[in-house]
Amino acid sequence: MNSGIIDISAGNLLLAFIFIFIAQASSFIYHLGLNRDITVGALRTFAQLFLMGYVLTFILGSESLFLTVAVFAVMVISAMFIVRGRVKEKQVSYFMPTFLTMLVTYFATAVFVSGLIVGTTPWWEPRYFIPTAGMVIGNSMSAIAIALERLFRDLRQQRELVEMKLSLGANYREASEEVFRNAVSAGMIPSINAMMGVGLVFIPGMMSGQILSGTDPLIAIRYQIVVMFMLVGSTAITSIIVMLIVRKRCFGSGEEVLLTPR
Amino acid sequence: MYFLNKRIVSDLFKDTMIPLLEIRNLDYFWPSAEIPVFDRLDMTVSEGAFILVRGASGSGKSTLLRLICRLNQPQSGTIFFRGRNIASILPSVLRSMISYVAQIPQMVDATVAENLLLPFSFSANSSKTVPEEQELARMLGDFYLDTVSLSQSALKLSTGQKQRLAIMRAILQHPELLLLDEPTSALDPESAAMVFSIMEHLNREQKMTIMCVTHSDYRPATLAAQTFRIENRQLILNAP
Repeated sequence: MNSGIIDISAGNLLLAFIFIFIAQASSFIYHLGLNRDITVGALRTFAQLFLMGYVLTFILGSESLFLTVAVFAVMVISAMFIVRGRVKEKQVSYFMPTFLTMLVTYFATAVFVSGLIVGTTPWWEPRYFIPTAGMVIGNSMSAIAIALERLFRDLRQQRELVEMKLSLGANYREASEEVFRNAVSAGMIPSINAMMGVGLVFIPGMMSGQILSGTDPLIAIRYQIVVMFMLVGSTAITSIIVMLIVRKRCFGSGEEVLLTPR
Repeated sequence: MYFLNKRIVSDLFKDTMIPLLEIRNLDYFWPSAEIPVFDRLDMTVSEGAFILVRGASGSGKSTLLRLICRLNQPQSGTIFFRGRNIASILPSVLRSMISYVAQIPQMVDATVAENLLLPFSFSANSSKTVPEEQELARMLGDFYLDTVSLSQSALKLSTGQKQRLAIMRAILQHPELLLLDEPTSALDPESAAMVFSIMEHLNREQKMTIMCVTHSDYRPATLAAQTFRIENRQLILNAP
């Protein structure tokens, strides 16, 4: 098997922008109103990945625990701000509990996978730790945003039903059990669906990358299996902890619903 | 300190000398409003009373009931239930003793029987005896719901039927205080008369303390009835 990888020249990289032009043209012709977002998204992808490339080159060479953890922290902070951008909730403060939960669970997951399953020495070996953490953060961030949006929306929409249960002696957990369950499920469904379709419907990015760089596909699939399981597990635990904490914050000292209709 | 069991609260504080409910210096503002809904409001409700609360739209009738069962929190003032500050009673335990039936009846997507038995699945009601199916069927008759089957979907009932079912569900908990928020607002005169008749029966025969907010010109026949009117952020007794 050829272990080398063909480099993409700068000119050829620019050719990839054709796909962005196609997306722009589609938005323009059909008045989708997405032109600005596509432009910003493309530029950010370009800039952020180049920056990440240089940072990773530096960190992989430095072999520094401090730098590895610092990159991890920056990724989690960035993820939290993306979640805040998506979940526009003013009445209940969810930022800090969500951030702290993400920080702790993602770190634990990345350490477990990198240090224990892959078995790197040291456990924070940047070549394994940072990509692992990146995948966990990227997937779980979306799950948390979906779950939070669902929790706030359903509690508002079903406020009268929740109050009916409260009025009949339910505590806030019993009254919002269904809302909680639906919110966590909504966050988890994408990663469960991904497990259903992987290898049949699509080849995941990490596995594709490994194969492109010359890794034996039979080794690449082992990594991918670990990643898929890791994503489902970390999504579940993070979503559940965040939902438990944030749901409590949706109720006041008298276990009354604090979210009012918008 | 919260009390974890309804019976403990009842046994400790059930004293005939203490009013069932006492409201002292209650202030309540809607969020970001400058004028209060209630300004140092006082009220005393004795056990077995039948209270009607009237008032203009937006005067705070529903808010008063919601404050009593802690679905809203006052900015200041104290509400005592059997002499105990309600803020010191676990909310679910408080609401297992004070049942509130909202203006718009809410049902879960389940059968009539499942809706009626829903409160018994809550931990605060775990010590209560779950009624048998025959008892539920008999009570449906008492609530003029003879045509309703326990196995049919509760969501398919009419508003009037749902309202009576909601009251029945609350009563099955044997609350010490029943709060009814405009129970007849969405009902035709015949259904409204049925609801008022049920209320009077519960107060007279079961000595249930009832506090009912209403817009209607209903005049209760029971001697225990007191009518309040909310005016200028205060409650006025024996209002017309």
